[in-house]
Amino acid sequence: MSGGAVAGAETRGHRGRAGVPAPRRAPRTRRERLEARAGWALVSPSIVLVAVFILFPLGFCVYISLTNWPLIGPYHFIGLANYTALPHNSVFLQSIVFTLEYTGIVTIPILVFGYLLAVFVRSNRPGASIFRTCVFLPYIVGLTTLSFLAEVELQPGYGTVNVVLAKLHLASINTIWVQNANLALVAICVLVVWLASGFTMMLLLAGMQGIPEQLYESADVDGATWWEKERMVTIPLLRRSIALSLIISVVGSVLAFNQFYIITDGGPGTSTVSLVMEIYETFNTAMHVGAASAMAVVLVVVVGLITFVQFRILRSDDV
Amino acid sequence: MSEVVAPARRRGERSHRVGGRRRQTGTVFYVTAGCLISAIFVVPLLWEVLRSFEPTQEITSPPSLAIFSHLGIENYRSLLVGSDDVVRNVVNSLVVSLATALLTTVIATLAGYGFGRFRFRGSGVVFAVVLVGFMVPFQAVLTPLFLELHDLHLLNSLVGLWLFYTAFNLPFGIYIMRNTFAQVPDEIVDAARVDGASVLATLTRVLRAIVMPGIATSFLFAFLFAWTEFLGALTFLTSSSVYTLPVALSNVETGTTYGGVNFGYLTAGAVIAMVPCVIVYAALQRFYVRGLLSGAVKG
Repeated sequence: MSGGAVAGAETRGHRGRAGVPAPRRAPRTRRERLEARAGWALVSPSIVLVAVFILFPLGFCVYISLTNWPLIGPYHFIGLANYTALPHNSVFLQSIVFTLEYTGIVTIPILVFGYLLAVFVRSNRPGASIFRTCVFLPYIVGLTTLSFLAEVELQPGYGTVNVVLAKLHLASINTIWVQNANLALVAICVLVVWLASGFTMMLLLAGMQGIPEQLYESADVDGATWWEKERMVTIPLLRRSIALSLIISVVGSVLAFNQFYIITDGGPGTSTVSLVMEIYETFNTAMHVGAASAMAVVLVVVVGLITFVQFRILRSDDV
Repeated sequence: MSEVVAPARRRGERSHRVGGRRRQTGTVFYVTAGCLISAIFVVPLLWEVLRSFEPTQEITSPPSLAIFSHLGIENYRSLLVGSDDVVRNVVNSLVVSLATALLTTVIATLAGYGFGRFRFRGSGVVFAVVLVGFMVPFQAVLTPLFLELHDLHLLNSLVGLWLFYTAFNLPFGIYIMRNTFAQVPDEIVDAARVDGASVLATLTRVLRAIVMPGIATSFLFAFLFAWTEFLGALTFLTSSSVYTLPVALSNVETGTTYGGVNFGYLTAGAVIAMVPCVIVYAALQRFYVRGLLSGAVKG
C-alpha cells in the first residue's frame, strides 16, 4: 500500500454516502481508483484465508464426494454413487435420526430455561449481574472440558452423579449410564441444557435491552400482570432474538460431536453416534473419503440453509 | 447492560414509594433465589475444582467426608512435572489460541476497515462471499481440509491448526469489524485526512480508540473458540508433541497416556482447561455481550 499517496482515499466514508447507489462503472477519478486499490488491499488477506481454508475445501468436498477417492493411488469419478449409497447406510441413517432426536429433546428446554433465566437476571436488584455471570460460567468453560468431567462423575460406584442420586434414592449408585442408549442420552441432554441455557439467556438478555421501558410503564398503568407484560410486550418484541437463539441452538445440536465422542464414544454399539461423529468415523476409522464427503455435503446443505435464515432475520431487522 | 439497568431502577423507586417493606422483602427473596439459581451452575464447577485435589484412588471410591483430609496437589504435580507432562499441551493450546485470536483480529480489522469505509467495485460481492464462509460449519469440511493440509505440509502442525482456526473465526470477526467501522462518524475520518494521515496511520492512530471494542470482541470469541476446540485438533494432529490440551485430555480419558485411565489426572487437567476461559471472559465480559448483540454468533 502506497501510504501517503492514498491519503485522501477515504474522504467519502460509508456514512457520508448513505443512500447514494453504488456506481456500476469503472472508477474514473484518481481518488476513486486509489480508494478502490486501498480497499482491495485491506480486504485481500481475509479473502485469501477464507478462500483457501473454507471455500476451497467446500468445493473440494463436493468434488471428492463424486469420486471413489482412496487415500493412496488414482481415483475415478463414480457420479452420485456415494450419495445413492447413503440411504442404504444404516449407521448413517441412525446417526441422522439420533441427531434429530437429540436436537428435538434439548432445543425447547434450552429456550425455556434461557428465557426464564433472562427474565430473572434482567432485574436491577442487587446481585443480578453476578447471577448472570454465574449462570453463564458453564458455557464459557465449554462443552469439551465439561464432557471430560461428566465422564468421571457418571462412573458407577463413585461418580458424584450416581452418589447423589443414590443418596436421594433415585437411582442405584452402580448405574452405568453409558451402557444404555437412553440413559446416556438423558445424561448428555441434562449436561447440554445446563450448559447452553446460560448462552440463550445472554442472547435474549441482549435483545431485551432494546425494548423501550415506556412499554412496560404503560402496561403497568393498564394494570397488566407479569405474565401479560411478557406475553404482550417482551415476547413480541423479542421475536428476532428468540429466532436467533433457536437457530444457533439447533445448528449447535445438529453439529454435536464432543459430548458423544467423549462421554459415550457412540456406544453402546452405534446407538449414540451423532451425524458429525459418523462423518468423522467414516473418514478417520473406515477411511471412506468419498462417502464421508458425501455425508458432509448433506450436512453443509442442512446447516447452510438454517444459517441463511439467520442472516435473513438479521437483514430484515436492519430496515 | 447499563441501558437495561437505568430505566428499571426508575420502576424500582416508584414501587419503593408505594411500599418500602414490600420492596425490601422482594429484594431478600430475589437475592435468595438468585443465590440458589447461581449455585446450580457454579457449585458443580467448584466441586470439580475440589475433586481435582483428590488423589485418583479417592476419586474412584465413593465420596465420604474423609476425602477432605486427603486433598493434595498430587494430580497437578504429576500432570505438570511428570515425564509425560501436559505442560507442553497447555503451551500448545495457549500459543494456538493467542495466535488465532491475534491473527483473526488483525485480518478482520483490516478487512472491516476496507468493507466499512472504502468503496470499490465488487465489495458487496466479496463481503457476501465472506458471509458464505460463515454458513459453512468447519465440522463438515474436515475431510477435504485434511487432504489439503497434508499437501501443504501443514498436517500435524500447529501452524496448520492456527490458519484453520483463524479462517473459521474470520467471518464473524469481519462482520463485527465492518459494522464497527461503518459506525465511525465521518468527521473523525475527515479530520484525519485534513491532517494528512495515510490509510494505515488513520487506522492505527485515529480510529484505534473507537474501534477498540470491536477488536476486543473478535479477539475474545476467537480465543475461546480456539482454546476449547476439539474435533479439528483431533483430526489434524497425530503426534503427542503437538496435541492441544483437549486432545491430550482425551488420551488421558481413554488411558492412552499415563499407563491407563487416571481420573485424578483427567479432573485436574479439565480444571486447568477451565482457567484461561474464566480469566479471559472475566477480563473482557462486556465485549462478549457486544458480540451477542450483533446477532451473528455461532453456538
